[in-house]
Amino acid sequence: MELKPQPGMAGTGVLERIEGRFGYATDQHHLPGLLHGAILRSRHAHARLLRVDTSRARLMPGVRAVVTAADVPGLNRFGIVVRDQPVLCEDRVRYEGDAIAAVAADTVEQARAALEVIDVDYAPLAVVDQAETAEQMSPLHGESNLLAREAFERGDTDAAFARCEVIVEHHYQTPRQMHAFMETEGGVAIPDNNGGVIFRVGCQSGHRDAEQLADILGLKPSQVTVEATPTGGAFGGKDELTIQPAAGILALQTGSPVLIHLDRFESCRTGIKRHPVSMIMTTGCDRQGRILAHRVDALLDTGAYASLGPAVLENFLDHATAPLYRIEAYSVSGRLVYTNNGVSGAFRGFGGNQATFAVESQIDALAEKLAMCPMELRRINLRTVDEPGSRGQVVRWTAPPSNVLAEAGASPLWAPAGSDLRRRWLTGTGMAMGAQGNGLGDGLPDSGGGRVSLTAEGRIRLEFGFSDYGQNLAEAITCLVCETLGCVAGDIDVVLGNSRGPDSGPTSASRSSVLIHGVLADILPRWNDCVRDQAAALTGLPRDQLHSGPGGLFAGGRQVLSYRELAEKGQPEQTLIDASQAFPVAPEGNQPVGRYLQLQISTVARVAVDRLTGRVRVTDLHHITAAGRVIYPPGYLGQIEGAAIMGLGMALSEDMPTRQGHYLADNLDQYIIPTMQDVPDQRVDVLDNTPTTDRFPVRGVGELGIEAVAPAICSAIEAATGIRVRHLPVDAGYLLAELCAQEETCS
Amino acid sequence: MSDSLSNLNPVTARRAIRVLRPDSPDQAVSLARQFSASYTAGGTWLQPTHERDQCWPETLVALNSSWPGFRGLDAGPNGLTVGALTSLAELARQALIRDYLPPLAMFLNRVAGPGVRTLGTVGGNLIVGGDLSALAMALDVRVDVINHTGERALPFSRWLRERASDDLLRGFTIPDCRGWRISLEKLGYRERFSPTRATLACVHDGDRVRLAVSGEGGLLRLVATETFVNDRADLASGDVGAVIDRELAAHGWQDAHLRMALRRMTTELLSEVALGT
Repeated sequence: MELKPQPGMAGTGVLERIEGRFGYATDQHHLPGLLHGAILRSRHAHARLLRVDTSRARLMPGVRAVVTAADVPGLNRFGIVVRDQPVLCEDRVRYEGDAIAAVAADTVEQARAALEVIDVDYAPLAVVDQAETAEQMSPLHGESNLLAREAFERGDTDAAFARCEVIVEHHYQTPRQMHAFMETEGGVAIPDNNGGVIFRVGCQSGHRDAEQLADILGLKPSQVTVEATPTGGAFGGKDELTIQPAAGILALQTGSPVLIHLDRFESCRTGIKRHPVSMIMTTGCDRQGRILAHRVDALLDTGAYASLGPAVLENFLDHATAPLYRIEAYSVSGRLVYTNNGVSGAFRGFGGNQATFAVESQIDALAEKLAMCPMELRRINLRTVDEPGSRGQVVRWTAPPSNVLAEAGASPLWAPAGSDLRRRWLTGTGMAMGAQGNGLGDGLPDSGGGRVSLTAEGRIRLEFGFSDYGQNLAEAITCLVCETLGCVAGDIDVVLGNSRGPDSGPTSASRSSVLIHGVLADILPRWNDCVRDQAAALTGLPRDQLHSGPGGLFAGGRQVLSYRELAEKGQPEQTLIDASQAFPVAPEGNQPVGRYLQLQISTVARVAVDRLTGRVRVTDLHHITAAGRVIYPPGYLGQIEGAAIMGLGMALSEDMPTRQGHYLADNLDQYIIPTMQDVPDQRVDVLDNTPTTDRFPVRGVGELGIEAVAPAICSAIEAATGIRVRHLPVDAGYLLAELCAQEETCS
Repeated sequence: MSDSLSNLNPVTARRAIRVLRPDSPDQAVSLARQFSASYTAGGTWLQPTHERDQCWPETLVALNSSWPGFRGLDAGPNGLTVGALTSLAELARQALIRDYLPPLAMFLNRVAGPGVRTLGTVGGNLIVGGDLSALAMALDVRVDVINHTGERALPFSRWLRERASDDLLRGFTIPDCRGWRISLEKLGYRERFSPTRATLACVHDGDRVRLAVSGEGGLLRLVATETFVNDRADLASGDVGAVIDRELAAHGWQDAHLRMALRRMTTELLSEVALGT
């Protein structure tokens, strides 16, 4: 079924964002006594800090506080997985952009002027800028620059390769991609006049951030509140702490609210990026095309600090096992190394799409060598819904993978391109598949809660700890509540992202929709019973005759009590219902590896390649998704299409290369993201065979759309030109040179 | 003349810049000399350049588009005169452009983004070697320049060689090119709002072909290639590729892949102007 935008589909929240009326944390210039913060960043990628002298800065006009490492009240370290990143560096900087000092002043220009007179003496150190040789270099942390090494094995890979008739081996490279969210990192820290701090920031996990910030600020957890305000995009780039520690320290020092908002230059320089991956992949099959053996050796550059690197490595390797395909034996290993190349961390896809790019390219390479249709090769090797996952774990699909493949095969994009493309364009269509799991996976603690209540004003209030960074969770929740209670959107208030509210866990790993659906399925019937009980007591009507509906409680087809009346006359405080649930994992007794809830996508791409310049234009993308039930169509479309555009950027233009640890792009005029003119026509199909009785009919689709885009585009380029690109982003010059070589050979 | 400090931007925190607003072009020249200041009009190139380098000028001389001859188009016996402070968006809307330079209106969609086209001026684009400079070079436009010694009109290419620091570009005159065949091609990194890798202009004036390129390797009139093409009179010849490659390489276009693209783009554009497509 094709999911099409419908008139009126987008709610008011969407329009507010499109029209620029939505208020973000970084818009809070109206706060009384607001100070502006700025952070001094390292000019060197790697250096000893010999001296940081702030004496002149403290005398600058408007300056209220200048802080350095010595002023961090608590733990001068943060990091979701490994707390290895200094809030303010003590004696060493490890990347260009490392924070050294921070200033609060009356105006942002005063704060930045003060930064310029902070005297810093550096003693430059050898820069570790090559991931390949990082382990031989002097360590940035501890004993070695090898942060993590992980391997997944299944069967006897050597023996399986020995039986292969056809083996392909290629090197793949993926870029250091930037999130390029509309709203750069920012927010405000507000002293609560009781020794604590309230943060209103764009972030992805209010509760987790509150824990880290309490440690940094030397406060009790109860003294730190994080309000994860709606954010202009995050995509993983705000999962880690950004400006919060510096803003919090300055707020405590000055007793005033402190706003820090990075400009685009600072965001480019200091924000985390997608891990660049270099990998060699070897895959073999028998004469019939059955894949027997698969080997992966990967190297991920995590930059100066761990951030979520170890988890990214795990998810990369999980996807590198080719989870959609039945492979007799594999050996998949990866190393994660520290370098002075910025910091890499969470990014939509979370390592999985880098692996899928290579895996799907390998499938095409095998098919070519076998002279077999790539889709037929996939069909032969696809898992069935009854088979375990690639790591032997129980998995739960929402449709048979073969059906998703068949739908891709029926895409209209396989028809020849229209004649409007002139003779200079070479056109081609290609496809790729991808799988994406929901949840943190691998047995990590993963749970989340939510709350429903009737407010004193008669509003149905839903509370979750998730952050809204553009996916418009509030409207998705509203849709589910209206569907269950029969009420209308105007009856509902949704409160998100407050660390004082229910802890839903991080807004990441495509887990929000699953947990929201699960929690609502638990609390809404109970809440409905509760209000019907109260309404029965107030009206004297039998409870069984009462049901909730638009604006209030109904009986016999007419409203007998509004929600406001119920709140005024009843006991709304007794309608507060909390629930928390563990993220769905495989049934007890199964090994907690990988992810239980699985989604699939097939992306069919049609491209035009400029014969004259090698430039690639993606004209169409057709996504066949199997991701459970659609609860909020605009959100579903937005996630799949938006993620696909990010995948397109990764495939064609986006990269943040470094030289001696310095980024070679510093703003969006140098770092090339797709514009709307680069966005192809897109079609999103939904394939859902989930039975109505399924306990987990709703899945999270925040990352699915990016999974197969890059390999589909490269497959289409190959169909158009005969040239397979294995290093991203696609280099038009390389493609042109190959085209010229082809022409010379032919002539 | 008015003199004001620019408003401080609370977000970008740019330093205060003294913006001088002269009453006349002559006064603008005088102030530019006095303060060693740059002229500014749309500011779309100066702003990101200074912001990137964190090197803000102390003083700018703001130009006024209401000064006679500085804005708008005027068709006359010598051709089409374009005021330097005409915005790129305004240029694209002009009916006279469709008469004189039919491919340009469409091409302007690929120059910068809508916001920049609204503010950015034709003169600014020429001065920084932007997308229009290759076309101006190939058309042999004459520029109208004011400086402390007076006013003068001279070929664009000569002005680039002789330009003085206080030269103020009032406008330029395109020869009457109605009936000429003109092709333009831009190679960027994406479909729109892309940094230019190369912009190639190919003009056939009914007698001879003229070629110019701007972009990563700088602005260049492809004299040797023109000579080769015009003398051979075989506009679609593949041999032209080797000539243009040598010429580009000799003038600082170091990226071999980019030169390869320009060879093929040139052949295509030559074919278009030869065939009149």
